[in-house]
Amino acid sequence: MTTAEKNPRGIPKALFVEDVSAFLSGYKDSTELGLRHLQEVLSKYRFMEANMLQRKQSMLSKIPEIEKTLQMAKYLEERKASSEEPISVQYELHDTLYATARVQPRETVYLWLGANVMLEYPIAEAIALLTDKLEVSRRRLTHAEEDLEFLRDQITVTEVNTARVFNWDVKMRRQTAETSVTVAS
Amino acid sequence: MRMLEKDEEADVEVKWEDQQRINEFSRLNNKVSDWEDQLSAKKQEKEYLEDLSGELELADEDEPVKYRLGEAFVAISLEDAQSRLEKEQDKLTEDIDALDTKMTEASERMAELKRLLYGKFGNAINLDK
Repeated sequence: MTTAEKNPRGIPKALFVEDVSAFLSGYKDSTELGLRHLQEVLSKYRFMEANMLQRKQSMLSKIPEIEKTLQMAKYLEERKASSEEPISVQYELHDTLYATARVQPRETVYLWLGANVMLEYPIAEAIALLTDKLEVSRRRLTHAEEDLEFLRDQITVTEVNTARVFNWDVKMRRQTAETSVTVAS
Repeated sequence: MRMLEKDEEADVEVKWEDQQRINEFSRLNNKVSDWEDQLSAKKQEKEYLEDLSGELELADEDEPVKYRLGEAFVAISLEDAQSRLEKEQDKLTEDIDALDTKMTEASERMAELKRLLYGKFGNAINLDK
């Protein structure tokens, strides 16, 4: 029920059923088998959709974090260039609890890289690194959104296929019933 | 949900062209609801910033302002705070305008798709949100 065609991230494209009876001939003319197969394809797409949605959410929470860090790094750089005075800052000591600190402008900052690792960077390098990370995350978000759109298309195609196979079956049964009534009378 | 009566059953073939239109409609529908959320969040933010800039008009010039940068509040001069605020407001206005344009384009296209699809399938298709 999928074709060889794929999107840039390798998700297969769903096959559009043009002719229901031709489609069912691939399933021993059994509506039941055909529908079951469509259902399988649909649940695969839905599974991928759920995964992709999660990826999108994780990017959506990651991007503002990087933006905040970048904003602060840029301020530190700006400030260092303009004045030697210490910066007065209120920082979050604990949830909802703030303390005041005086920070001497410096040449370097520490970036938390994850996995319990923190590294010292010259401010300009930190900014470059963060800018790069931000760009990568934004690109990933765009890709996730594109994939979601693509998946949604495939889901719609598969749903329409299902509805049509189903309707076709109802029509067939009705015809058969009518014919047998005619024969009986 | 209900079954269609026999005489209103639409016996119209769904062509690939129609399927693509259905897909496009569903895609746009999704995007628009995403954009609506973004738009209302940004409008809210803009309102806050407007209130803020009003407040800053009244602030003491010699008193530093605690401006939020990232997770912390940094003491900066009133002048700096105002120029930062202005930049943030400009950025927001730009974003809101861009969203508005996209949404208008999308709803025009959706109206067109509705016309085509309802025209062909009548009550056999339902294109609401």
